[in-house]
Amino acid sequence: MNPQFIMDGLVAGAMIGLGAIGVTLTYSILRFANFAHGEFLSWGAYLALAVSGALGFLATGLTRPIAPFSFGWSLPLALVIAIFLTGLLALVLDAVLFARLRSRGSAVIILVMASFGASLALRSLLEFLFTSKPAYYTKALQIAVRLGGGLRATPDQLLSLGVTVVVVVVIHLLLTRTEIGRSMRAVSENPALAGIAGIDVRRVIRFVWFIGAGLACIAGTMTGLLVQIRPYLGHDLLLPLFSAAILGGIGSVPGAMIAGLIVGLSEAGAVQLVGAEWRSAVSFVILVLVLLLRPRGLFGRPA
Amino acid sequence: MTGASPIPAAGAPALETRGLVAGYEPDLPIVRGVDLSVASGELLVLLGPNGAGKSTLVKAIAGVVPIHAGTVSIGGRDITALPAHRKIGAGLAFVPQTENIFATLSIQENLQIAAAVLPKARRAERIAAMYAQFPDLAVKPARLAGSLSGGQRQMLAIARALMVDPPVLILDEPSAGLSPKIVADVFSMLTEINRAGVTVVLVEQNVKAALAIASRAIILVEGRIGHEGAAQDLLDDPILARLYLGTGQAMEARRP
Repeated sequence: MNPQFIMDGLVAGAMIGLGAIGVTLTYSILRFANFAHGEFLSWGAYLALAVSGALGFLATGLTRPIAPFSFGWSLPLALVIAIFLTGLLALVLDAVLFARLRSRGSAVIILVMASFGASLALRSLLEFLFTSKPAYYTKALQIAVRLGGGLRATPDQLLSLGVTVVVVVVIHLLLTRTEIGRSMRAVSENPALAGIAGIDVRRVIRFVWFIGAGLACIAGTMTGLLVQIRPYLGHDLLLPLFSAAILGGIGSVPGAMIAGLIVGLSEAGAVQLVGAEWRSAVSFVILVLVLLLRPRGLFGRPA
Repeated sequence: MTGASPIPAAGAPALETRGLVAGYEPDLPIVRGVDLSVASGELLVLLGPNGAGKSTLVKAIAGVVPIHAGTVSIGGRDITALPAHRKIGAGLAFVPQTENIFATLSIQENLQIAAAVLPKARRAERIAAMYAQFPDLAVKPARLAGSLSGGQRQMLAIARALMVDPPVLILDEPSAGLSPKIVADVFSMLTEINRAGVTVVLVEQNVKAALAIASRAIILVEGRIGHEGAAQDLLDDPILARLYLGTGQAMEARRP
């Protein structure tokens, strides 16, 4: 068996983990499974593409690849802007849709169904705006470097892994060491008590939407960079994202990341062992097993 | 203690409700027109049979249950329309009956959350003051609040509420689920807090113990004030005691 699947699994797993952190945070605070989360990945990727294109148009020098990577400064700059835009998109979606349903006291299933609708609308809008033809941030080709042990990776892949590690550490510190993180954990445990204790629950919810969508944008852009940008990019990752969030334990950031890597590695392993056509079944099997055997996940608190 | 919030208007009651109608469903009010006036420095106990609306009344005052009509004011300031999270800043602290601490957070984090309402400069000092007042909590501040005993949880819940040095403290059945020994501790602590100048309103099922520390009692019946008077008079009045408090005879049947 070719050990390269480990590197492929790690890279895919890092993207899944990053997206799953957004899922686990929004799930634990908003208390419903937001099926439109995948669309934040796609929108993030396309927003980064659009902004990066605009930047490149304004200053051609920005598109010149930064050695050894395949992209120029226009992409990281565009990513920063796209994170804010995707966060804004999530806030708008919450304001026009979910906040209204919440204030009406709608049941969880209504919110879930609404998120399905939102997902469909957002995805169709992307296809309308950008067509369903795959797009790329850069046309530059990359040569994979040998890492030893039969593993190879492109500089872009290594950079993505590095960025993922940094982002996970930052989010973990945000949750455990800062006032807003403490408020998020308090709201996640007991929103009513959080209000009584003086926490502005609606502000925390807005913050969580923003962070979740921002992380989705990073994951989407990196997936777009390493594979390709398609309107279905996020939608196709939805099941792995939810598997990872639930395997990690809802609310746990390290859990979501580790579970993301587990899902990514399992998928890559399954491709090696039973064939590529089984890849998408892996997340499903993991999800079912976790729900049957350990519903609170690896790091979740007991119900 | 002095109130952290706006200085109460001279002579205004510490806590007042006028014509308060509240309940989870608009067409099914549980509190049906309550005029409550609590003078500064009082320790008032709210009594009444199950389903009389005691809990709903204090939750409505705290902003947890919707108010359909009437007003709530603290020190003469109308706070009816304030969202729940702003009431603490207006001087009203509330300790719910159950789930009144963040179990997945540490003791220190529970107190930090309460202190976040205060200006940054005062936070450390107030947290230290709470540890001084509740030494049990200071033993191991990093401990998860969920691992505390029932009595310690109640201490933490009260410390959390007192963090902002509120003029008014409302507690919903602080004795529920505690052993008699711990109940005595909690009640003596409430007496101390009250003596230090905090107006205390208490919902209780534990009638005798509550009347023993209260200055005044109000009995709610079917969402309205059925009787009010000095705590001692209630204890001495056998008819009232039998009618409303279930002392001497079985408690009035639980309402459907």
